[in-house]
Amino acid sequence: MKQYRTILPFIKQHKSRYFLGILALIFVDITHLLVPQVLRAFADWMQKGELNVERITFSALAVIILGLCVAIGRYGWRMNLFGTARKLEYWLRAKLFNKYLSLDDSFYNYHRTGDLMAHVTNDVLMVRNSMGGGIIMIIDSIFMTIFTVIMMIYTVGFKTALIALTALPFLTIFVFFVLKPMQLRSRRVQDSFSEMTNEVQENISGIHNIKAFGIEDNRSRSFSRVNQDYQRKNIDMMRLNVLFDPIVSLISGIALVVFIVYGVYRLLDGSMTLGDFVAIIDYLRLMVWPLIAIALVVNSFQRGIASMTRINEILAVKSRIVESTAPAEVDLSSVKIEFRDVSFRYNNKSPWVLKNISFVLENQKSIAILGRTGSGKSTVLQLLLRRYDVNSGQILLNDIDIRDLALTDLYRAIALVEQESFLFSRSIARNIAFSSSDDYDSVKVRRSAEFSQISQDIAAMPDGYDTWVGERGVTLSGGQKQRISLARAHYKDTKVLVMDDSLSAVDTNTEKSILKQLKKYQQSLILVSQRVSTVQAADQILVIEDGEITQRGDHVTLLQDTEGFYARLYQRQLLESELTKEINSIKQDNYLKEDNSSVY
Amino acid sequence: MTNQEKLNADYEKEQLESRKNFSLKRLYGYALPHWKKFLFVILLIIITTGLTLVQPKLIQLLIDNQFPVLSDQTVSSAEQNLAVSATIKIALIYLGTLFFAFLTDYGQAYLLQATGQEILRKIRQNLYNHILHLPTSFFDHYPLGSLVTRVTNDTETLNEMFTSVLSNIIRNIFHLGGIIIIMFLLNYKLALLVLFLLPLIIFISIVFRKAIRKVYFAQRRVLALINTKLSENISGMRTIQIFDRKKQTEKEFNQVNQEYLDLSRKEVKYFSIYRPSIEVIQSLGIAALIWFGSKGNMQGLISFGVLYAFINYIQRFFRPIFELSETFNLIQSAVTSTSRIFHLLDEPIESVGGNLRISKYGLKGEIEFKNVWFAYNEGEWVLKDVSFKVEPGQFVAFVGATGAGKSTIMHLICRFYDVNRGQILIDGHDIKEYNISDLRRTIGVVQQDVFIYSGSIADNITLNRENVDYKAARKAASLVNADHFINKLPQRYREYVTERGSTLSAGQRQLLSFARTIAAQPSILVLDEATANIDTETELLIQDAIRNMARQRSMLAVAHRISTIADADNIIVLHQGRLAEQGTKDELLTKDGLFKVLYELQFSQIFK
Ligand SMILES: Nc1ncnc2c1ncn2[C@@H]1O[C@H](COP(=O)(O)OP(=O)(O)OP(=O)(O)O)[C@@H](O)[C@H]1O
Ligand SMILES: Nc1ncnc2c1ncn2[C@@H]1O[C@H](COP(=O)(O)OP(=O)(O)OP(=O)(O)O)[C@@H](O)[C@H]1O
Ligand SMILES: [Mg+2]
Ligand SMILES: [Mg+2]
Repeated sequence: MKQYRTILPFIKQHKSRYFLGILALIFVDITHLLVPQVLRAFADWMQKGELNVERITFSALAVIILGLCVAIGRYGWRMNLFGTARKLEYWLRAKLFNKYLSLDDSFYNYHRTGDLMAHVTNDVLMVRNSMGGGIIMIIDSIFMTIFTVIMMIYTVGFKTALIALTALPFLTIFVFFVLKPMQLRSRRVQDSFSEMTNEVQENISGIHNIKAFGIEDNRSRSFSRVNQDYQRKNIDMMRLNVLFDPIVSLISGIALVVFIVYGVYRLLDGSMTLGDFVAIIDYLRLMVWPLIAIALVVNSFQRGIASMTRINEILAVKSRIVESTAPAEVDLSSVKIEFRDVSFRYNNKSPWVLKNISFVLENQKSIAILGRTGSGKSTVLQLLLRRYDVNSGQILLNDIDIRDLALTDLYRAIALVEQESFLFSRSIARNIAFSSSDDYDSVKVRRSAEFSQISQDIAAMPDGYDTWVGERGVTLSGGQKQRISLARAHYKDTKVLVMDDSLSAVDTNTEKSILKQLKKYQQSLILVSQRVSTVQAADQILVIEDGEITQRGDHVTLLQDTEGFYARLYQRQLLESELTKEINSIKQDNYLKEDNSSVY
Repeated sequence: MTNQEKLNADYEKEQLESRKNFSLKRLYGYALPHWKKFLFVILLIIITTGLTLVQPKLIQLLIDNQFPVLSDQTVSSAEQNLAVSATIKIALIYLGTLFFAFLTDYGQAYLLQATGQEILRKIRQNLYNHILHLPTSFFDHYPLGSLVTRVTNDTETLNEMFTSVLSNIIRNIFHLGGIIIIMFLLNYKLALLVLFLLPLIIFISIVFRKAIRKVYFAQRRVLALINTKLSENISGMRTIQIFDRKKQTEKEFNQVNQEYLDLSRKEVKYFSIYRPSIEVIQSLGIAALIWFGSKGNMQGLISFGVLYAFINYIQRFFRPIFELSETFNLIQSAVTSTSRIFHLLDEPIESVGGNLRISKYGLKGEIEFKNVWFAYNEGEWVLKDVSFKVEPGQFVAFVGATGAGKSTIMHLICRFYDVNRGQILIDGHDIKEYNISDLRRTIGVVQQDVFIYSGSIADNITLNRENVDYKAARKAASLVNADHFINKLPQRYREYVTERGSTLSAGQRQLLSFARTIAAQPSILVLDEATANIDTETELLIQDAIRNMARQRSMLAVAHRISTIADADNIIVLHQGRLAEQGTKDELLTKDGLFKVLYELQFSQIFK
């Protein structure tokens, strides 16, 4: 049960509700026991012919009043205990979600969305069930058992009562034996459910891919495997689960038989009266329900524990990015960024992704990063935003190590346009104003849209800025997505703008206009790109090869190293442009009225 | 409320209204194939119930006949011995019934669970298959989390429908029927009095059902909303964190979470009223019995024994009623989920296309667009009167500003959407004549958005397709130069990658998706900015490789980098959904049109 420690704060906070609920429950239980007393008294009166109108009225009224009491009491405990269990569900769900919000990329790289979803829906539900119905059954069964045992001892004495209770130890043994397997099987069911959620979530999110390859059948088979596994795991658990009821009936039935045999001899030697005997048999029958309840409690808590363990595993994960407790003050009116001898790898087993990276980006300057696929360009940007911590070296912002900064300050200084833009299912305006709280400044949104050259596209849509963007931006073209995410970064109004190859899906003409816009804003710029034309005007160009900076300098200096990556790239891209030598004059075009002067 | 939410709300309302009990019938349609098992289960339940009814009778027998003899010290010992052996005999019979009941009870419960799980599996599978075959446009507007909820959580709610519901109903109706008969045998007047309570209970149940159904329905909807939020926010977590939007996201999530809590509370409240109100009726019933019964008793109409028995029975009478009412709620909750599931199953699936099959040698690769008009949303034309022709083996490039409709053309060729006007012909046949799976398998697309499955690199290339084995996968990988980075991974082709492929660089992911397409040797290759994130050097290598390979196949490519498409046989320039010009690069350059501007833009800076 130590797994339940997680919810201790909640229980403490709601102890009065629990207290009230339990009180009401006990009240109901007691009242319940009073009804037969009233009926017995009534029967006695009637048998003895002592009935009169007063007594009849009394009995009838008593029954009604007791009934009302039970009803009110039941309402009370249901509202309190079940209500609180629902609140617990809410609380746990919020807690998990907050945890998700605080976890870093290294967590998300290895945990799958569907799995995380299953925790928040299904596991939380299991815990809720154990804490609602579970608690009630505990109280109920404990109360009823104690009451019955006391009544038995009171009627027939300690020894006889003991014999009558032979069922208890057997039941305990049974419960003891199924405890662990139950928990284990339940855990497997939950894990399998996660697996299934994941399969569905993942495949449906890749539905376009599935359709493109016509592999629906194959995906269906893949689902059928997890589906079957889930069925099997469920049946495995059910095999134990459905044993509880019959076995309790069996054990308590056997106890009854044992007692009958024992009772026969007690009756024979006259040490027990018939009345006592009948009373005991009645009590034994009364005991069956609490015994079943105990078994159910055990069952429901084992399932709860399995789910709680899964939840605790998530809650125990520590984000590797630890924010400084006493963050340094930083003046963000101008921003200087420095990488000092930074080396990095994603984990101990992987090769070094970055080796001794050093560079300085002065305020309002621009830097461009070039390199082949997988050379580590994006990784540099991840580190700058402290998505991961460096293994050695330092990253400084205004000469302060970014590890000493509040993350909020860091994010206030830098806006990143990711290589793969992720848009949310909300209106375009709200996507652009993602960094603002509930209210957004529509003028600013428009300005950002104009900055990223998306305003015309938006104007062409029937709902304009209120156009709903489908999940992940499915209803937009690739270039539109990229430009909206650029607008989103621009809206943030930071001193540093970082673009991770984020104009790759944008046509040249639009790209050029954007680059021109960039110049107008007094921002420092970090640009990752594959195109020489995009980067050539930067103040500094870095070439990364296999995690190392192999070349640095501006366009002109880099070209001097004719064997270098940059010069080769230039040559290659120039090669094609040589074909254009035959074009002598560049005329204005009739479709797009753009001037073709250099951007920078 | 945003458009989409309004849309959703309308949709749900419509669902609620159009829902009739048909869903329950359909649900039992799934149970029908298992009727033999169910019949057997029913038999077992009847046996168990019978046995559990016999047991008290046996005890009664002992108490009434044997025990008085035993406890009576005046009776002779011979008689007592007789009584002892009779008692033992009855006890043994009792023991026998216990074991037998244990077996039938367990057997019944197990069989029911197993069958129930089997049915659920079937429903889940059907639902999932159905979703896989829904048209592409469906997914443009339907939230992913909601679909996940249907397949997983909603089907889960049905579990009880097949397991507890059936046995509960049978057992309780059995009990109830028995008790009612006994009561009538005892005294029909009193029995009628008790039966008068039934309409009251039914009335309360109907009122309750109306209320709770709404709650259940809303609950399922909000649960889907929770899953939608989860799915989206977990996928976009990085963006949320970088934009420092944790607070607001938390608030947004809290909103749906709170909404769910409110509904939950409502549910608890309704139940907290429903069950006690039946209890009150029970008390009223007993009080009425006492009142009228004792009046009758005093008038000598009703004997004490009968009245006493009645008071006993009325309590037993209510137990099955309580249980039935609980069962009734399970049914309500299941009906809600079922109707949601069936509504999804009623969504029309994508057409399977015509019955023109494509042989394993594929197509020649002739593609023709004839005056094609297309709109995603009615009235918003994305493609306007587009016509062009791709000869077999040709390399045709598509250029144009973003949003011009290039990707849309690629979508139409794969028949993700159907054209509104005009016609698309492949090898001289309308695209609609082909079997759609054949068509898509023969056309290889490298999409703008890369999707990576959790699994090994090799699995991601083969996708478990029959026609792509491991060797083909490796060959494709080396063709597109992906083997270069794959061989650097600790596990190489067996390296495990996750969902969004977050442990690979963007370019590496693109290479992977490229390899995936090439591996199946498609007849028509469609590249939608397939190399946008790949460096120029690698891109050139790939181009060479494809050129060698693409001899016999047609290739369509969308690219912004002119270098990618420089030697295309035909370049098609799209402008705002219209075909602006077409021709080879040289032809277009002499034309002084749109392409020339694009072209010059890209090189002007270097060129200067
Ligand atoms: N699923 C969709 N539903 C509604 N509209 C869509 C959908 N997909 C694309 N559009 C719209 O159709 C138009 C053409 O989109 P398309 O993706 O074909 O452009 P594209 O030429 O490929 O642009 P890019 O170069 O940016 O990728 C755009 O205005 C886009 O917003
Ligand atoms: N989360 C991660 N865990 C482990 N390895 C990673 C992770 N992310 C990236 N890598 C590896 O680190 C290397 C550098 O990746 P990075 O994303 O920085 O490349 P890039 O230069 O941005 O490439 P591209 O031009 O393709 O975007 C790659 O080999 C990649 O496989
Ligand atoms: Mg990258
Ligand atoms: Mg596109």
